[in-house]
Amino acid sequence: MRKVYIVGASLLKVDEQWGQSIDSLVTQVVDGLAEVRPWKLDSIYVANALGEILQNQANLGAIVAEDVGLTGVPALRVEAGGASGAAALLSGYQAILSGLADTVLVIGVEKLSDATPEESVFLPSLSERYDLVGFQGVTEAALAAMMYRMYLERYELPQEMVAQFPVLMHEHASKAPHAQYQFKTTLENVLSSPVVSPPLRRLETTAPADGAAAVILCSSDALPTIQHEQVVELAGAASSTDIVFPFDREDPLKLSAAARAFYEALARPGLSREQVKVLEIHDSYSILANLILESIGYSAEGASGVDAKNGMFDYGGKVVINTFGGLKARGHPLGATGVYQAAEIFLQLTGRAGACQVDGVKYGAMISLSGLGSSAYALVMKEG
Amino acid sequence: MHAVFRPPVNWRHRRFRYRLVVWRCQNCGAVHHYATSICRRCRSNRVAEDKLPDRARLITYTVVKNPPVAFEKQAPYIVGLVEFEDGTRLVAGITDCDLEELKPGIELERVVRKIAEDGESGLIVYGYKFRPAITRGRYTPGG
Repeated sequence: MRKVYIVGASLLKVDEQWGQSIDSLVTQVVDGLAEVRPWKLDSIYVANALGEILQNQANLGAIVAEDVGLTGVPALRVEAGGASGAAALLSGYQAILSGLADTVLVIGVEKLSDATPEESVFLPSLSERYDLVGFQGVTEAALAAMMYRMYLERYELPQEMVAQFPVLMHEHASKAPHAQYQFKTTLENVLSSPVVSPPLRRLETTAPADGAAAVILCSSDALPTIQHEQVVELAGAASSTDIVFPFDREDPLKLSAAARAFYEALARPGLSREQVKVLEIHDSYSILANLILESIGYSAEGASGVDAKNGMFDYGGKVVINTFGGLKARGHPLGATGVYQAAEIFLQLTGRAGACQVDGVKYGAMISLSGLGSSAYALVMKEG
Repeated sequence: MHAVFRPPVNWRHRRFRYRLVVWRCQNCGAVHHYATSICRRCRSNRVAEDKLPDRARLITYTVVKNPPVAFEKQAPYIVGLVEFEDGTRLVAGITDCDLEELKPGIELERVVRKIAEDGESGLIVYGYKFRPAITRGRYTPGG
């Protein structure tokens, strides 16, 4: 049976890179893939969410292909909000499994630091239904805050049960050289940071970030012909959608699309959840960490906070989440984030995660969302 | 950044924004804020124009402290999740009240208010908001 492999991954430090353009970020990140040159690429997928708004630049397929000296190779920009990177990876996976491509370059790139503070608040809400949400001045953070309040009230929990996730993320990022925020923080700091939309605090959200990450996918047929130092199998990938307005779903606290995508991705290689020891999740707001972990069954409903407190999601626990700090602390360069997640799992499965390494890890998975779970993508990787 | 509010869009949505005219599936009851011939929930083709009631209940609420484009001058402002008798939910600005007056479950009524101005020379757009019910009436469909 035809298989898909990742033969190289590259990522830049997530930061506010004032001096860098989309083009320069792309060239830097592709330079990091030097070990897998020379390429004969069949396709390039460029993940980016906001280029036409923040840099007045669309058509990033041809532009990025030219940037990296690969004009002539078919190239396409993929946009799926915060899940653009994962959507590009899924597209590459499908292209290879279809037999139409043997080698695919997936690049995620985003420059959010060009936005004004008001644009930084407005732009994430583009993933929600504008006529219902954005038009009313309701931000995505405000929607997340209302889900957060509903969660605390339903399960009668103290805020700590949600607000501790950013503390864990900063702890993990403190050992990650490419993380945007490498400082540790405390629950007291999180709960005394400025209120964004009550109960949501500043340190429970992400901040403008620039970044680029890239991976090279290849088929099992092409693998012997490609020069590479490490290899990981992309064993499963899937996506699903949900009703867009979260409060219109049967249960706003259940991320059904994430659950469907995750289990479909696991089912392809016939894996169970318990075999996954490294899991990258989409914690663009602290509450999403709780909702994802409960929706995909790692914790019972309302219990992810207690489980986290007991160390279930940290080193030595059942599954380590966001080993480089996740969206919260590694940073969330919107369209690039999914490719960062994949590159990080690649580092874990090839034993090159440095101080963030999880010992003896054979399987890793990632979940990426757009909006507040209206699209979900899941990828599962296996030691090569 | 390009204009947030465009005249044709504003015109197109006028009945929904000013009067909560919606399109309701005659098969499953699902509500659409846009004209459609396919129900988004059950795919029935039997969708007909309807109007949401003027009263609703508050489910939960929060405050926008960091405003988006075009709402800079209004922050901080209250936004809430409201539910109509048929179960339809909307988020909207909550107006004419202090935060302390708001409790989940209280009755709200729809008003039309200025939503935002698009800069110095752009559109001034209006639409629905909700306030704690102060006029006489009951919480009934079409109320």
